[in-house]
Amino acid sequence: MLELNHVSKNFNGYRALKEASLTLPRGEIIGLFGENGAGKTTLMKCILGYLNYTGQITLDGHPITHKNIAHISFATSEHSFFPNLTASAHKAFYELHFPTFREKRFNGLMTFFELPTHKSIKHFSVGQKNQFEVILALSQGADYILMDEPFAGNDIFNREDFYKVLLGILEPTETVLLSTHLLEEVEKFIGRAVLIRKGEIVGDTTVEKLADSGKTLIDFVKETYHYKSDRVIQALSNLTDER
Amino acid sequence: MIVKIENYVPVGIDYEQEIKWICIGLIMSTLYSFGFLFSLSREYSALFTGNAFNPVLRKDAIMPDFVELFGHYWIGFLIVVLCMIALFVHHYTYHYQNSKSIYLMRRLPKRWELLKRCVALPLFSSAASMLIALLLMLVYFGIYLSVTPETCLAPDQWQKIWHFY
Repeated sequence: MLELNHVSKNFNGYRALKEASLTLPRGEIIGLFGENGAGKTTLMKCILGYLNYTGQITLDGHPITHKNIAHISFATSEHSFFPNLTASAHKAFYELHFPTFREKRFNGLMTFFELPTHKSIKHFSVGQKNQFEVILALSQGADYILMDEPFAGNDIFNREDFYKVLLGILEPTETVLLSTHLLEEVEKFIGRAVLIRKGEIVGDTTVEKLADSGKTLIDFVKETYHYKSDRVIQALSNLTDER
Repeated sequence: MIVKIENYVPVGIDYEQEIKWICIGLIMSTLYSFGFLFSLSREYSALFTGNAFNPVLRKDAIMPDFVELFGHYWIGFLIVVLCMIALFVHHYTYHYQNSKSIYLMRRLPKRWELLKRCVALPLFSSAASMLIALLLMLVYFGIYLSVTPETCLAPDQWQKIWHFY
């Protein structure tokens, strides 16, 4: 279980995370939603230890260090692969450093997305780079897979394929924390939705609960964010008045 | 045991090119240090009067100290060492170029992998540079002692070297 207890992060006086507490059990696909700058990436970077923070983050009761970091993988829209290396060279590197690397899954996903294995990643298209980034995260052999806007730049068919593959290949012990703006797309694939706003966790619910209450994910987000539906009409009428 | 260089440099970097430039730097430094031999030859000639076929040692002639003659001829090796600091910075910033591979390197189970890959080549090259400089200095000092007439040798050469470096 991955646990965050009262995690806060300041950037030059700006509180990017405020007392965030969250529990991620094994075997869930969790959507992490929030507007730009809400703190989604900061939250993930704190989990991975890239940023200093106050509070506590534990993995199965232990602080996250080099001893247990291999249990967490990360796919980011910024990409964390080596652009000069081929896919097969990445595979060799991962096999060397991550003893639980899933070779079969890697090969299967490479074949499914028809990615070349002997071409430098820098020569891939943006979509292919995103796919490769996610393939690496899924194949590392981690129990917790963090994905930060992994599909930015991929077309809808591509993304749909990926969600389906994700559902098909994940084992019951694997947890995915998926940060994205594509609410409607992922609604069918996630089991739980966590909402973050101005560094605070403002909502945490399961899709089951939403279904029981007859709400969609969009409704939940709008409700939690206190979205004013007449905002656009009001703004337009104000602008029209100006004229 | 075969040491694979690619395990000691940032992943995917063109290390052969780096090694080529380091070797060029070391060769240039060595060539520059040969200037000492010309200085020594000049100062040696100055100890004598007469012509080349009948040299006569000047009265009270003293050979300049070794440290004075060796002077700046080791500077090339120092420049190589300084360049290695820049190479270390390049190795680290490489992980931010065209992707953020730093994210992967920082979450590897092997804690020192990133540091090892950034530091190994610059450190080894710096050590090699200093070692070559030291060896050349010893060789040059040996030449200096062997060619300088005993009466022209200023005392405490070893101590002067020790104090200077």
